[in-house]
Amino acid sequence: MGVSAGQTYTVTLANRGNETYRVDARRALLDSLRDQGVDLPFGCQYGGCITCAAKLTAGAVDQRRQVALNNRQINDGYVILCVARPVSDITLQIGVEAHDRLYRNPFLDPLKAHELKADIATPKEV
Amino acid sequence: MECCGPGYASPADAIKAPREKLLYTIAIYTGTGIQKPDYLATIDVDPDSPTYSQVIHRLEMPGIGDELHHMGWNACSSCFDDGSMSRKYLILPGVRSNNLHIVDTATDPRAPRLHKVIDGADIKAKADLSGPHTVHCLGSEIIISFLGNAKGEAPGGYLHLNKEFEIQGRWESSMGDIKFGYDFWYQPRHNVMVSSEWAAPNTFMPGFDLEEVGHLKYGRELHFWDFEKREPIQSMYLGEDGLIPLEVKFHHDPDSTHGFCGAALSANVIHWWKDDGGEWRWEKIIDVENEPHPEWPIPVPGVMSAILVSMDDKYLYLNNWLHGDMRQYDISDPHHPVLTGQVWMGGLLGKATHVNGVEMAGGPQMFQLSLDGKRLYVTTSLFSTWDNQFYPEIREKGGVMVMIDCDPVNGGMKINEDFIVDFGKEPNGPSRCHEARYPGGDCTSDIWL
Ligand code: FES
Repeated sequence: MGVSAGQTYTVTLANRGNETYRVDARRALLDSLRDQGVDLPFGCQYGGCITCAAKLTAGAVDQRRQVALNNRQINDGYVILCVARPVSDITLQIGVEAHDRLYRNPFLDPLKAHELKADIATPKEV
Repeated sequence: MECCGPGYASPADAIKAPREKLLYTIAIYTGTGIQKPDYLATIDVDPDSPTYSQVIHRLEMPGIGDELHHMGWNACSSCFDDGSMSRKYLILPGVRSNNLHIVDTATDPRAPRLHKVIDGADIKAKADLSGPHTVHCLGSEIIISFLGNAKGEAPGGYLHLNKEFEIQGRWESSMGDIKFGYDFWYQPRHNVMVSSEWAAPNTFMPGFDLEEVGHLKYGRELHFWDFEKREPIQSMYLGEDGLIPLEVKFHHDPDSTHGFCGAALSANVIHWWKDDGGEWRWEKIIDVENEPHPEWPIPVPGVMSAILVSMDDKYLYLNNWLHGDMRQYDISDPHHPVLTGQVWMGGLLGKATHVNGVEMAGGPQMFQLSLDGKRLYVTTSLFSTWDNQFYPEIREKGGVMVMIDCDPVNGGMKINEDFIVDFGKEPNGPSRCHEARYPGGDCTSDIWL
C-alpha cells in the first residue's frame, strides 16, 4: 500500500455521540481507538473470530487480512477492527449494539452462493 | 508406592469418593457486550451450606476476550501411583485469545487463584498453534488439543506442557491426513487415542454457516492414533451419520476398547470398539430425529454437542441443545443402548421455557456428573457466537446451571427443584456458564493407566 508516513484520518463513532478520533492510516483501527480510550470488544486480534466487528456507515477501510466475515456480512457493512485500516475518513457503529445483522439463524436464513465466505463463494448470477 | 498420588486407584474407588461440595464452572462475557473478563466461578453444591446453589467466588482472568470454554486438570488418576503429584491446578484455555490460564484450586478451594498465564502469542511462536480446546494430562505431562495453526487454519495439533507448565513444543509426531481437530481421549492399555473433528478456528469462531458443512469445512471423521508413537494410524469416515463429531469418551474401565462420540449436527451417537480380530469397528447406536417446529421450514436438528459416560460405564448422557432435552441411556450393552431417562430444559421447541422459576435462554449444553452418578450439573451456553445466532435472548438472560437427579441403579432423571444458578443475575451483568469440574476429579477427566 502506498500510504505515506504520517497519514491520518478521522473516525466518527456514530453510536457514541459522534465522538471523533484521529487515527494512523497504517495501524489497525482496534489498536488506534483503544489507545485513545475507546472500550471495544475483541478476541483473537488477527481477524479470525468476529468478536471485534463494527459497522461501517461511511468511508472505506482496507480489511483484506480478515478471514471472519462472509460476503453477506461484508455487504451489510461489517468491518473487522483488529485488522482493518482506514483509507478515508470513516464513520463506525461500534460494540454489540451494531451486531443486529451480524448473527442469523443459519437454518432459517440460509446464505446464497455469492454470500458465502470469499474462498467458497461463487459469483452472483445476474 | 501406595495411593498417595491424585485421584483414585480405579473407577470403582472413584465412585466411592466423598460427595462433591464445590464445583467450578467458567463463565464468559466475551461476545456478550459486557466489557469484562471471563471468569472461573466457584459454586457451593453442599446442600447443608447456607450458600448452597450460589456462586461464592469469582476469579477474573487478567484481560477481556479470552472466551474460556473447556478446562482440565494438571493431574488425574493416571498419576495415582506418583506421590509427588497432586490435583492442584486447573488449566483454562481461552479459545479466542490463545492464552492458557493456570489456576491454583488447592491453596483455597473456595477461592481459586491465578498461578500463571501462558501467553497465547508465545504458543503461536513456539508451537504454531491456536484455538485451544481439550486438556488432558498423561502421567505428569499435559497435552492440549488446538484446532488451528497460528493463523487459525486447520488442522492444528497438540501442545505439550511439562508439569511446570513450560511449553515443550508439539506433542504429536505427525497429524497424518487429519483435516480437523477437536476432542480426544486415550486408553493407554490399548495404546490408542481417538480424536474428533470440529472445524478450523477461522470457520467456527465467527459463527455457524450451515452451507460450510456442504463445502467440507466441518469434520465428519474419527481418528485412531498409535498413542506411544503419537501418530494417527486409522481414520473412520462417518459421512452423513457423523457430521461434526465432537466429544469422544472411552469407557473408564482401562481394559475396555469401547468408546463413544456424539456427532453434533447429525445428532447421532457413534460407538467404536476393537473386534475379536483386532480391528477397530464403528456403528451408529443412537439417532435423534429432527423435530418439526411451527416457524421453521425444515425440522430442527438436535445438535448433540456433548456426551458423558458415568464412572461405572453403565450410562451415557447426551444433550440436544436446540431441542432442549437431556437424555440418559443404559449402555450396559454398548451395541444396544436403552433410553432410560429424559428431561427438558429450555430449547427451541418450547417444552420447558422455565426451570425452577428461571426463564431459560439456550438449551442443555455442557454437563458434569458426580462420581457416584447421582447428580448431573447442566449448563446452557455453547459458544458466544453460536449462542448469539440460535438464542439471541441469552444476551439479556444469561446462562443457567441446573441439577438433574439421576438414578444410577434403575435409570431415570428428574430436575432437582432445590438447585438452580442463574448467571443472568451476576454482579457485572448476565454471563454464560459452560464446562464444570469438581476439585476431587470428575467423570470427564480421569484416565487409568
Ligand atoms: S478480535 Fe478476532 S476478528 Fe478481531
